[in-house]
Amino acid sequence: MHPIFSEPRRLISYLLAWLPAGLLLALPFARAEGGTPKEALLVALPLSALSAFICLAAWYPCKALPLRETSISRLVVAFAGAAAFSCVIWIFFGWQWVMRLSGLEGMEFAPSRFARQLPLLAATGLLLFLLSAAVHYVLIAVGESHRAEKRALELDLLAREAQLQSLRAQVNPHFLFNVLNSITALITADPARARQMCVLLSDFLRLSLRAGERERHPLDEEIALAAGYLAVEQIRFGRRLKVEAWIDRSAGQVLIPPLLLQPLVENAVKHGISHLLDGGNVRIRAGVQTGRLKVEISNPCDPERPRASGGGIGLENVRRRLQSAFGEDARLDIQAKPDSFEAVVYVPISQGDPP
Amino acid sequence: MSETLRVAIVDDEEPARLLVRELLASCPDVEVIAECTNGFEAVKVATELHPDLLLLDIQMPKLDGFEVIELLGGSQHVIFITAYDTYAIRAFEANAIDYLLKPFTTERLRSAIDRARDHILRHEPLPVDKLLGSARPAQAFLQRILVRDGAAVTIIPADSLDYADAQDDYVGLHFGGRTVLKQQTLSDLASALDPARFVRIHRSYVLNIERLRKLELYAKDSREAILADGTRLPVSRSGYQRLQELL
Repeated sequence: MHPIFSEPRRLISYLLAWLPAGLLLALPFARAEGGTPKEALLVALPLSALSAFICLAAWYPCKALPLRETSISRLVVAFAGAAAFSCVIWIFFGWQWVMRLSGLEGMEFAPSRFARQLPLLAATGLLLFLLSAAVHYVLIAVGESHRAEKRALELDLLAREAQLQSLRAQVNPHFLFNVLNSITALITADPARARQMCVLLSDFLRLSLRAGERERHPLDEEIALAAGYLAVEQIRFGRRLKVEAWIDRSAGQVLIPPLLLQPLVENAVKHGISHLLDGGNVRIRAGVQTGRLKVEISNPCDPERPRASGGGIGLENVRRRLQSAFGEDARLDIQAKPDSFEAVVYVPISQGDPP
Repeated sequence: MSETLRVAIVDDEEPARLLVRELLASCPDVEVIAECTNGFEAVKVATELHPDLLLLDIQMPKLDGFEVIELLGGSQHVIFITAYDTYAIRAFEANAIDYLLKPFTTERLRSAIDRARDHILRHEPLPVDKLLGSARPAQAFLQRILVRDGAAVTIIPADSLDYADAQDDYVGLHFGGRTVLKQQTLSDLASALDPARFVRIHRSYVLNIERLRKLELYAKDSREAILADGTRLPVSRSGYQRLQELL
């Protein structure tokens, strides 16, 4: 359905705009030999109203044949055909109308005057349809650029949100206070490790601040960020937290929104490892598969753990960021089993990425 | 009189245990009798060694600090040590002697220990009932039923409970073909469970509605519930009304 039909006010102003065209069309009929102004208006106004609707039909081929993806020859053939077809329909219904008018008194010769205008009408019909197609292409392009602008804004907003959330996550009691407590403990018990933990924490905070300022960064840097976070948590959890990571060389340079994976890594520790007496491995695996980046993050779980409160807001956020950055081409798959949890992120590789 | 305070430290993070142990060394007359890395161990140590005081973390694997207190039945003196300030009210409702926020100073720990010593020397009884009720946040329904048998702890996720029946001072918890007894009244258990899933079908029975296969009338006004595994339970008249409201 043409978008104009969804807004009655727009449709009415569109039809009003056709009124002058109708008057213009009446001129040749009024001037014709034996023609009267009344007859000219009765013929031309319905004809132009009909044309108004026929021209709207140009929207469909415009939609079906995006300018950038269609060859010139195909465009020419398609629109020549569509214009000819619409023109024939227009004249056919016009003819039917004029035949009806000829039943009225004083209009017996309207059909013959109509027939004399046929070449003019045919040319007008063709031109109007092609003009309408051109206008439709312009409008579609304008709409697309609006949408792209809106999407860019949305993306920006979500990235900011993620940065904020990530900052908040680092400053929440669960992370920062526990880390500070560990440092307090290690200052006397193991000064070297205390110092190491301060450095790791600073590195992680610095990296995440920097990452938050950018629109995209390579997967390698995202992994470095996750590694920094896990290194800090490893001092807290000791042997319970182990990390395995396999990053394919080809995957490391793929660009992704910064801090995209961070909530998944934090969940793996918070809802997975921290509930297990003997801990377990957080596994991160990244590779390129059928032209897409695939990142898997998995962890074991305690089947008896209390259900997490908060209901997956973190996961929903990751999903929304993927959607707004890549549209339908990106995906987050979750496999939650009683004793394990796996998140898989698929991201399309853009042309800007090195192969 | 200088009585030595026997203390157990419970925290799943090694640096956190190190810190408490080190700071306690500067407190006079305190002996660390055990270090526990999770809630199970804490219950075991409290049952077998009877420490005067538990220094208890809240976020831990298997059992959290509040669940440990619930299982110990409120006879245990506790100081909570956690990075969260959001649990403070719940902690004091659970009758904790003090609540330390990580990281804390030696002085803060010492004052908490002094306060604990005062409490214990005065032999202040702890209001057990209040303790049990408050170990769960008021708005949430019971997700897991915890049962202690001596030092052993059984965790029954509420979803897997088939039904519970009253047996004198105990409730029998039936799940997956097993039965475990817990010292609690059936009313207390029923009020803690999610009323959208668990129905008091009889004075002596609470049923997980997902296990119900059908209802049979076997005499005037008396019905039997037949569960998925074939178990038959009596349904009283008011129990039938409650079932109907839910179904």
